[in-house]
Amino acid sequence: MAGVDDFVEADNAEAIISRIEHKSRKIESLLKQGRPVESLKTALEGSPPNTRDERCKSANWIVVHRAIMAIKDFDALFSSLDPEYYDILMKYLYRGLSTGDRPTCDQCLRIHERLTERAGLGCILRTLADTVNTV
Amino acid sequence: MSAVAVHQFAQCITCHAWSPDHSMIALCPNNSEVHIYRMSEDKWERVHVLQKHDQIVSGIDWSSTSNKIVTVSHDRNSYVWNLEGSDWVPTLVILRLNRAALCAQWSPQENKFAVGSGAKTVCICYYEQENNWWVSKLVRKRHNSSVTSVAWHPNNILLATTSTDGKCRVFSTFIKGVDTRDSKTSSSSDTKFGEQILQLDLSYSWAFGVKWSPSGNTLAYVGHNSMIYFVDDVGPSPLAQNVAFRDLPLRDVLFVSEKVVIGVGFDCIPMVFAADESGIWSFVRFIGETKTPSSAPKYGSQFSEAFGKFYSQSKYGVNNDGTENSRQRGGIHQNCINCILPLKEPGVSMVRRFSTSGLDGKVVIWDLENQDDLFQ
Repeated sequence: MAGVDDFVEADNAEAIISRIEHKSRKIESLLKQGRPVESLKTALEGSPPNTRDERCKSANWIVVHRAIMAIKDFDALFSSLDPEYYDILMKYLYRGLSTGDRPTCDQCLRIHERLTERAGLGCILRTLADTVNTV
Repeated sequence: MSAVAVHQFAQCITCHAWSPDHSMIALCPNNSEVHIYRMSEDKWERVHVLQKHDQIVSGIDWSSTSNKIVTVSHDRNSYVWNLEGSDWVPTLVILRLNRAALCAQWSPQENKFAVGSGAKTVCICYYEQENNWWVSKLVRKRHNSSVTSVAWHPNNILLATTSTDGKCRVFSTFIKGVDTRDSKTSSSSDTKFGEQILQLDLSYSWAFGVKWSPSGNTLAYVGHNSMIYFVDDVGPSPLAQNVAFRDLPLRDVLFVSEKVVIGVGFDCIPMVFAADESGIWSFVRFIGETKTPSSAPKYGSQFSEAFGKFYSQSKYGVNNDGTENSRQRGGIHQNCINCILPLKEPGVSMVRRFSTSGLDGKVVIWDLENQDDLFQ
């Protein structure tokens, strides 16, 4: 499974970037409509953990970061976020914490607490143990 | 509660094994010795101490029909112990390893045993009658990292291994003169020794605790990323399922029937996984838990407890192991469980009792009575 996406051809990376740009526009419009939870779901969908291309990862992180920072109501977030998103969200929270940026870390820690309650320590373990599919 | 017996044998137990009639237990108390205890008048009495290894014994297996014990150790050697009179007599098996041996298991017919090692190899050892000598044959250059666990298929030929490179592999261990070509599963015995039948790339972190189901149709193993993997139809087109769970990773698993698996590990409490009618595996419940797992655990209080412990430790310099979590759960083990074995009644296909041992030095016997819903 891992071997297939090991190396990304240039045009493949371009395709991913353009998909992320499209996603970014969609998220902006969702945020304008006041639907931050939908925007986070959209941001997490189709995240490119399998690629080795750092540009794709960074581009997607910018989009996810935008959506994470817009979350205000955590109860609403977790009542509508499906469990299949938990693992990928946890990965992005750790990416957020690694930036060292104060507001980002504050927000990530708040979500981290709620997510750990929901998804358990196993979710953190899956994030920390997976050194191949990084975000 | 389904734990029927708890006994503190040592500070820490690396592995244990039962005699064929379950009256005796062999265990390693985290040193170079193997202690054998016998149950007499409701008390465990130490009857033998097997001293031959130089370093920690990492694997013990007691064969059920031939009554032989195989032990492997970090000292890179293995001994086969034979009961002669009232003494256990060791025979050295030179494994030809340059790293520690990590696990050992007798094959179902007990004419071979497999040893996993830190040297990225698996040793298949068999007895050569003419030389009166155990020979070790190596499966080399197949694993990219330490072999953490080995499991024999019921057909005595196929061997499954897990490794810290995250892979689970299945090999043929056909040895001329030991195995016969006309065994039940003709297709799998056609392959040569050391040939890889299958490689499963499901995990991205260390893999542990591989086991076959009683029929040999399903394979289960665990990853260090809080995942358990089930593989049906082991062969050219395997069907794999990944099950993620919310707790700490597992170390070992046990099939109690074709459709029910018990997992043990860092959460100090056995977990039950079961397959439904359509063959979809999922986590069912903990065994012997006093509280229900549904209410969200209070991680905040755990963190403050951890802090409290940290401060008390720095003050008094005592180490009383991270056990608050399991005590909160009402678990019986106080530390990571790293070994689970079936206690099979002769003639009964399903396992109703099993034993676990772990880093807390306890051996716990569990009974699946009152858990009948699992077997429907």
